[in-house]
Amino acid sequence: MNSIQQEILLELRNLSTVYPTKRGLVRAVDGVGFSVKRGQILGIVGESGCGKSTVLLSILRLIRRPGYIDQGQIIFRGQDLRGLSSNAMRNIRGREISMIFQDPLSTLNPAFQIGQQIHESLRLHQVIDGSRSLGPLKMGQRAREKERVLEVMTEVGIPSPVDRYTAYPHQFSGGMQQRALIAIALVCEPALLLADEPTTALDVTIQAQILDLMRRINQNRGTAIILVTHDLGLAAEFCDTIAVMYAGRIVEQGPVDDVVANPQHPYTQGLLACRPRISERGQRVQPIPGNVPDLAELPPGCPFAPRCSYQRGACDEGPIPLVSTSLGNISRCLLHVDYRRQKDWKWTDRVALEA
Amino acid sequence: MRAIKILERVIATIPIMFGVAIMVFLFMRLTPGDPVDIMMGQGGAVSAGEMERLRHEFHLDQPLSIQLWLFLKDAFRGDLGYSYVQKRPVIDLIVERLPATIELALGALIFGLIIAMPVGIISAVRQNSLLDRFSMAGAFLGISMPAFWLGIILILVFSVRLHWLPVQGRIDHSAGLQEVTGLYVLDSLLTGNREAVASSLKHLALPAVTLGAGVAAVVARVLRSSMLETLRSDYVTLARAKGASEWMVVLKHALRNALIPTVTVVGLQIGVLLGGNMIVETVFGWPGLGRLVVTAIFNRDFPLVQGTVMVYAFTFVMANLIVDVLYTYLNPKITL
Repeated sequence: MNSIQQEILLELRNLSTVYPTKRGLVRAVDGVGFSVKRGQILGIVGESGCGKSTVLLSILRLIRRPGYIDQGQIIFRGQDLRGLSSNAMRNIRGREISMIFQDPLSTLNPAFQIGQQIHESLRLHQVIDGSRSLGPLKMGQRAREKERVLEVMTEVGIPSPVDRYTAYPHQFSGGMQQRALIAIALVCEPALLLADEPTTALDVTIQAQILDLMRRINQNRGTAIILVTHDLGLAAEFCDTIAVMYAGRIVEQGPVDDVVANPQHPYTQGLLACRPRISERGQRVQPIPGNVPDLAELPPGCPFAPRCSYQRGACDEGPIPLVSTSLGNISRCLLHVDYRRQKDWKWTDRVALEA
Repeated sequence: MRAIKILERVIATIPIMFGVAIMVFLFMRLTPGDPVDIMMGQGGAVSAGEMERLRHEFHLDQPLSIQLWLFLKDAFRGDLGYSYVQKRPVIDLIVERLPATIELALGALIFGLIIAMPVGIISAVRQNSLLDRFSMAGAFLGISMPAFWLGIILILVFSVRLHWLPVQGRIDHSAGLQEVTGLYVLDSLLTGNREAVASSLKHLALPAVTLGAGVAAVVARVLRSSMLETLRSDYVTLARAKGASEWMVVLKHALRNALIPTVTVVGLQIGVLLGGNMIVETVFGWPGLGRLVVTAIFNRDFPLVQGTVMVYAFTFVMANLIVDVLYTYLNPKITL
C-alpha cells in the first residue's frame, strides 16, 4: 500500500443521531466512530433498524426533522462537516460524497428523463467548465456535459446510452434503474460513495453485476465506499473492513478476514451462525433467539444481553466499552475484557480497564 | 403522435354530445309545466286558438319522437332553434352571453390558483407551522361557505360599506371599451384602454373571488397533501443528496410530482365553476350563461335550455380533455 491509500478520507467520532418520539428520545445512532481511508471499502452490517442507514444520512447531514445529530464529529478531508454552512454542505453532497439507495424505482424521480437526472448533478456542481459563458459557448458546455453523461452511462453498463438518455425511470428494469442511480452518484467523480443496501431490491444475478460494477469503480477510480448491508456474507466478500452495528452502536469492528474468521462479539458470532452454508449440509441454521430491542427503551447495559448466551450479571449494569481484542478487532463485550483474567469480574473494575 | 390522439379524443366527443342532447331534451320534457301556458300565464286573455297556434309553431303538438328528431337534425347542422320567449336564435343568445361566463370562470380559476399554489406549497413545507394551521382553517372555511352568502358579504363590505368596488355589472360604459373577444379584461388590454382595464377588473374582482374561493380552498388542500407526500419520497432525498438547493428540491422535484393529483382536481373544479356561476352571476348581476339558463328553465324555454346545457357539456368535456393532455406532460407513465 502506498501513502495515498493510507490517507484518511472520512472519520466519524462519537457520532450520535437522535429522533425525539412520543415515547422519548430514540438514539438511532449512539456514539459511532470509524474511519475510511482513500480507496477503502468499509461495510456496515446489522439487522434492520440498527441505525446503519441513519449513519449514512448523518454523514450527508440529511437527517429528516424532527431527528437531528446530537453530538460527534464528521471529519471529511480534515474538516468537520457539522461545522459547514448549508451552502458549503451542498457543495459536498453529490460532488465529494455521493449516495445510492436501496429502492431504485422510488429513488429516481418518475417525472424526469434518466439523462436529465444524471445531468442535474453535473450541472448543480458545474463540474464541466464554461459555467460563465453565454450564448453559443453555453451550447458547447451543454454538449460537453451531455457527452460526460453518456460516458458515465456507458461506464455503469447502460447499453445504447444515447437512446436511454431520454427514457423515463419506469421504462427501465430494476437493474438498469440501479445502474442509473450509480451513474447519478458517479457523474461528478466523488471521493466517497455511500451505498445503502444497493442490491437488496435486486435479483441475485443482477446483485452480482452491481457489486462487480461498484468494485470496478473502487479499483479504477480509487473511490472509497461505505456499504451498508444486512448481509454479512456479502460484506465479507466485498469489503476491506467491517463494522457490525447493533441497536445504534458498533459492537465489533475490524479487518474483514478477522471479523469473519474470528468473530469476537457474540452478536457477530450469531450473525455468522445463522447464515446458511452449502458446505455444511444437513446442519441446521441457528437463528439468534429473541428480537431486536426497542430503541426507545434500551437497557442501561449491553442491548444484546437479553439475546446473548454468554450473558452475565455485569452485562446489565452499565455501558460496555469498545475494547481491542487480542486479535486486533475491537469489540464491545465484557467477554474478552476480563473473562480469561478473572471469572468474578466486578463492575467497578471497568473504569480502570477503560483508562 | 400526440396530435393524432388529441384529434381522436375530440372526435370522440361527438357521441358524448349526442347523448347529452338526448338527455337534456328528455329531461326538459319530463319537467312539469307547459311552455305556452307559462308564456301566456301573465296575460290571461289569450284565446285557445292562439295558444294552439303557438304550440304548432314550436312543434309542441307533434309526438315526442318527431320533436326529438327535429331537434337533433337541426342541432347537427349547428342550429339550436329559436328561444320561445326571446324570439331570437338560441345560438345568438349563447354567443352573446358566453364571453361573460368564460371571463368569470377564468377569473375565478386564476384567482383560485394564485391563492392555492403558494398556500399549498408553503403549508406543506412548513407543516404544522402557524401559517399552515391558519391557511388550512381558511381553506376549511372556503369549502364550507356557500357562494351566495360569501357574495353578499363581499358586496356588503367592499361595495356598500367601503365603496371600493361596484355592486354589479361587467364594466362602466363610460370607459368606452371596444369589444374584440368579449372578454372585457382582455379586450381592454388589447385595445390599450387603461380606464377600461381598471373598470373591468374592478367589476370582475368580487364575482371572481366569490366563485374562486371554493376552488382555492380545494386546490390548496389537495396540493398540500400531495406535497407532503412527495416531500417525504425517496427521490426528494436523492435530490438533496445530489446537492440541490432547498427551493429546487421543493419547486422542481416535489412540486412537479405533486401537480399530478392536483391537476385532476383542478379539472373537476371546472365543473364547479360552471355550475357555481349560476348563483354567482345572479348575485352579482353578471350577464352570463348562468343567468340565461336559470331564466330559461323557469320559462320552460326548451330550445334555450337545451342549447345552453349543450354548451356547458361541451366546455366540460373540453376542459377534461385539456386536463388529460396536461397529465401526459406531467406524468410520463400516462399516454392519451
